[in-house]
Amino acid sequence: MPTSSYRTGAWFAVFGSATTLLLPGSEKARVADLWSRIDDGAGFDEVLDALLQSGLGALPGFVLVSGGDGPTKVLARGAVQVTGSADGEQVGIDGRDALTWVERTLDHVESLALVVVDDASSEDTDDMDTDDVDLPIVGGLVRVSRVDQPAVTAPPAAPVGTPPLAPEAEQVSEPAPAPVPESSPLDDEPDTANMGTREDAGPLDQPVDPPDEADSWAPRAPEPPAAPPGPPPAGPPPVPTGAPPFAPTDALSLQTDHAEQAGSPSAPPAPPVDDDPSDHDGLTRTGASSEAEFARELPGIPGQPAAPRVVAPVARLLISNGETIPVDRVILVGRAPEARRFTSTEQPRLVKVPSPLHEISSTHLEVRPGSGADHGSAVVTDMGSTNGTVLEQPGLGPEDLKPGIAVQLIPGATINLGDGVTIQVTRP
Amino acid sequence: MTDVELHHGAASDVGLVREINEDAFLVAPPVFVVADGMGGHDRGDVASRIVVEEFSALAESGYDATRGPEAIAATLRSSQARIAEYDAGQRAAGAQDFAAGTTAVVALVVEQAQGDVGGPTEPMWLLANLGDSRIYRYNDSVLEQVSVDHSVVQELVDAGTISLADAAVHPERHIITRALGGSGSTEADFFVLPLAGAERLLLCSDGVSGMIDDDQIADILSRTSDPRDAADRVVAAAVAAGGRDNATAVVIDVVGLVPDRPYDSDAQRMSLEQKLGALP
Repeated sequence: MPTSSYRTGAWFAVFGSATTLLLPGSEKARVADLWSRIDDGAGFDEVLDALLQSGLGALPGFVLVSGGDGPTKVLARGAVQVTGSADGEQVGIDGRDALTWVERTLDHVESLALVVVDDASSEDTDDMDTDDVDLPIVGGLVRVSRVDQPAVTAPPAAPVGTPPLAPEAEQVSEPAPAPVPESSPLDDEPDTANMGTREDAGPLDQPVDPPDEADSWAPRAPEPPAAPPGPPPAGPPPVPTGAPPFAPTDALSLQTDHAEQAGSPSAPPAPPVDDDPSDHDGLTRTGASSEAEFARELPGIPGQPAAPRVVAPVARLLISNGETIPVDRVILVGRAPEARRFTSTEQPRLVKVPSPLHEISSTHLEVRPGSGADHGSAVVTDMGSTNGTVLEQPGLGPEDLKPGIAVQLIPGATINLGDGVTIQVTRP
Repeated sequence: MTDVELHHGAASDVGLVREINEDAFLVAPPVFVVADGMGGHDRGDVASRIVVEEFSALAESGYDATRGPEAIAATLRSSQARIAEYDAGQRAAGAQDFAAGTTAVVALVVEQAQGDVGGPTEPMWLLANLGDSRIYRYNDSVLEQVSVDHSVVQELVDAGTISLADAAVHPERHIITRALGGSGSTEADFFVLPLAGAERLLLCSDGVSGMIDDDQIADILSRTSDPRDAADRVVAAAVAAGGRDNATAVVIDVVGLVPDRPYDSDAQRMSLEQKLGALP
């Protein structure tokens, strides 16, 4: 279910899982930064901190509403009004009343309406003839004049000439009227922000998941298409006059479910079950009788998850022979290291270290970007070396690595492979 | 490329049971391939030949030695596309459910960066495997299977369900889980070995590894210094053991490599200096 609905307008609204934020249309640079935070699930306090980073004077107005369980906190400043009902009582907050901002904590909020009373912008939107269409939204960044929480479910009387629910095909075939976010920070920021949050931050194939109820608008948030390189239009973004009730294509990003998106490693494509396996020299056949038989462990160290693909190195290794190796993939260190069972896309880096006394094994240890709880740092694993590996973490005594057991590396750690070869771990 | 010579030998035999040889191989240094076609009347020989032709084209056109896995993956993809094209042509001609397929094992010499990004590179074996043909290395009198079969029994062995001995006689030992052609996964496994760690490589079809065991293979490789003779004898032994399947072997020796001396003069001098306390 959409948690909010909005009407198009001049202000920006950012819808996140924990907070909703409204900012004036002049705050483009600020909203880009805040969008990335809120989209990452930033809480009320964190967003407020970021909002006030450059002082209150530079901020003509805003509305910040906390979500989630517990009491709802509402901050309003400038030309905005918040009305609604909580605990059976009517609530009215006017941002223009305050020198700084108005703060209210509301229990059992039944509904809230965040209305921009900025005259100029409402005139603009009047021109567009669309400000009375309530569009449902779950998450993302849009231009608004009014936000309702929870969503105004019954679609209002559609403007003349607008089909209440345009056929899917029509919407798919007409991505063109989707208003293009016009400011470049908006174009760039969300991408990078998104990459940072996705464990499988591979190519940005599909940065957004359409909300459940958005089945009717198949265009999966078309990449801001063909933004004209010319000067951006001064007014609010063009809104298609025939906007169907469900047309959140003007939302830059619709993020529904972080958990869902947090990149459960894509399961290998289910191999087809071959009922009539073909003959292989009369004996060998392709195909297996069940999918489970294909569930081979991922290449790498048995029992350990595959190294996640990372955008930037999570650490840097300073090897005592003077080499510097960024940890942005699996790294195998040894006297004559070998790599086993990798795929064409995740080639490990082999690092050869001198070992005149042969104290170091041919493939001695592995360092890789950590996954799960170790995400964001490097982990080291002894590959069953003959003479073992000693790890010294800052503030801890030396520790013998157990073969096959990954240990998280803290910047400042020193790994001793023997034969005078040590590896220092630093920040990337 | 450093001063490394590759001496090689290859042999293939139809065996005693089959009527046509669906195996194919390529020796075009530094590219070596064994492909085991399957499909019987679905012309597995065409599928395996397609793979060999594609890798032959790769050997002729050359490849970026620092991007070996991409080169192999691209060649496997083009092979897959050609096999699919061939299948489609056969189906259009009336052969229903026509599906040729083939395994592939590939050995390629690549340049692998050592340490620093953009730093010096060193020639290495890049090996790729798709299906149940095998790559062995024979080094210091030890035979080791490098590739891991994409087969049902290998999955069962990996899962600990059955032992290696059981696998050799398992009723489903001929069912493979990955191959070119067909609709399954065509993602190959890759391996990188230092040339010094694989002085002799054996690429073979399951007509070899299914007929004679690893000890017999090791025995032949240890007694035969010339790689051409070694390939011949491995295949002959497989045929002599029953020859139930096409048997193909490619043997490659790395010659002229400066060995990785365990007790070279530097090491001895250094250890002496250390012993004398001149060095910490």
